[in-house]
Amino acid sequence: MSKLAVKTALLATIVAGGAAMFEPEAQAAEPTATDEADPMTFARGAKTWSETCARCHNMRDPKELRDDQWRAAVAHMRVRAGLTGQETRDVLKFLQESN
Amino acid sequence: MKKNSRLGLAVVATMALAGPSPGWAQSDADRIAELEAKTAAMAEALEALQEELAQARESGTVRDTEELRSEVIKATQYAQRAQRAATEWKDTTSVTHLAGYASAEYVEPEDGNGAFTSNFNPMFHYMYSDRLLWESELAIELDENGETEVVLEYSTIDIFLNDNLILVAGKFLSPLGNFRQNLHPSWINKFSSAPPGFGHDGAAPAADIGLQLRGGANLFGNRKLTYAGYIANGPMLVGEDGEIHGIETEGVASDADDSKILGGRISFLPIPRLELGLSGAFGDAAVVENDDADLDGDPDRDYEVLGFDVTYQWQNLDLRGEYIMQDVADASTSVAPEGGKWESWYVQSAYKIGASANWEGVVRYTDFSSPHADESQEQWALGVNYLVTPNALIKVGYELNDGLGGEVTDADRWLIQVAYGY
Repeated sequence: MSKLAVKTALLATIVAGGAAMFEPEAQAAEPTATDEADPMTFARGAKTWSETCARCHNMRDPKELRDDQWRAAVAHMRVRAGLTGQETRDVLKFLQESN
Repeated sequence: MKKNSRLGLAVVATMALAGPSPGWAQSDADRIAELEAKTAAMAEALEALQEELAQARESGTVRDTEELRSEVIKATQYAQRAQRAATEWKDTTSVTHLAGYASAEYVEPEDGNGAFTSNFNPMFHYMYSDRLLWESELAIELDENGETEVVLEYSTIDIFLNDNLILVAGKFLSPLGNFRQNLHPSWINKFSSAPPGFGHDGAAPAADIGLQLRGGANLFGNRKLTYAGYIANGPMLVGEDGEIHGIETEGVASDADDSKILGGRISFLPIPRLELGLSGAFGDAAVVENDDADLDGDPDRDYEVLGFDVTYQWQNLDLRGEYIMQDVADASTSVAPEGGKWESWYVQSAYKIGASANWEGVVRYTDFSSPHADESQEQWALGVNYLVTPNALIKVGYELNDGLGGEVTDADRWLIQVAYGY
């Protein structure tokens, strides 16, 4: 059973990650020029922030950190919570505009 | 006649050059007097001007004008530098950030001595551009004798390969299950203690050293998948009195069995606030320490981990449940031939109340089963939390413990904790 779980996780990791390798979209963790111009980035970020962060912990106030500190904190949470790059950019945009 | 004509012309010219005058009737003496008066007035005005200039110089007005011009230039340059400084910190390629958590705690067992304790877990984030993050956490704790223990909880370099995949290298928190990797920090854990079996040396692996690939992907609509797969050194076994005393899963920088562990977790979110996780790992493990003595050459044996976890939030309600199991196979030629299974599961419900949702009630049930009877424990935990801020909590809780009679696992406890995540 555990071997099945491991193989499933590894397969999903390889398939999802491998498929993403061929995606031409930006890999940046920070809002790109496209994100800056997209008026929905902020709204998507607010939605992801409210739905994802509370899965593990109480919601933190965006005013707790400066813009540059949020860069590192959100990158850390990307690793922890399994955020996609786009979700990370959206959430960072939301936090930086709400602090 | 010519002489008289020239004289007449000279008189006429002189009269014309004399300028405006009251008339031909004004005498030369009058004009001279008038000119003298004008000259005197001009001299007086000049003298006043000179005096005013002298006073201005004396008061520094003239000198200050030059200094003021210089200061304006300096202020302009300073403002330009300040303007650059105001924005450049946002645009640096490297970012450092100090995070972490700390707590102070008082624990009083029903038949023992109550005591205060404290711990501090600083976390360091070093980010280069948006491609690389080095993150480390130290666990600094006080033991029963007052000695300070420092443990490298984790230290990894995370390389963001693309939007859906991150390469993690170093010592990482075990991605198996949910509690150990995401919920154990004191400001996140809704009860002061970890569920039995989910702490150190229990059923849940704590950390490992190796390589990990992890990330997330959006599926159709709001559905989401997160995944993690890793290869690592794996655990080591500690023998005592001819049996396996415990599984060391803190992440060891050696691999006695020379066989790497493969493991991973996959979670599926059919709706945003419902997460279903499945974890597993397998490989070999060997006894490397027996009765406090190093051991070399003990045979390898199969080792595997299996886990399930579920999380669901609805408004102020937070529900969690998790099962985790570590199994070690028998090895007839080992100093500790008999294997064993360490397994634990818990369910937890927490609900926030109050106008600002800053009061929280928590109920948790855990059942931990170990090959050693003195470790097995069944526990009900009841708690009330006050959220000073979302990341600063005061927790008061009571554990109803049911273990082997006379052991600490059987003693009920009061726990009071102040926790802060920053």
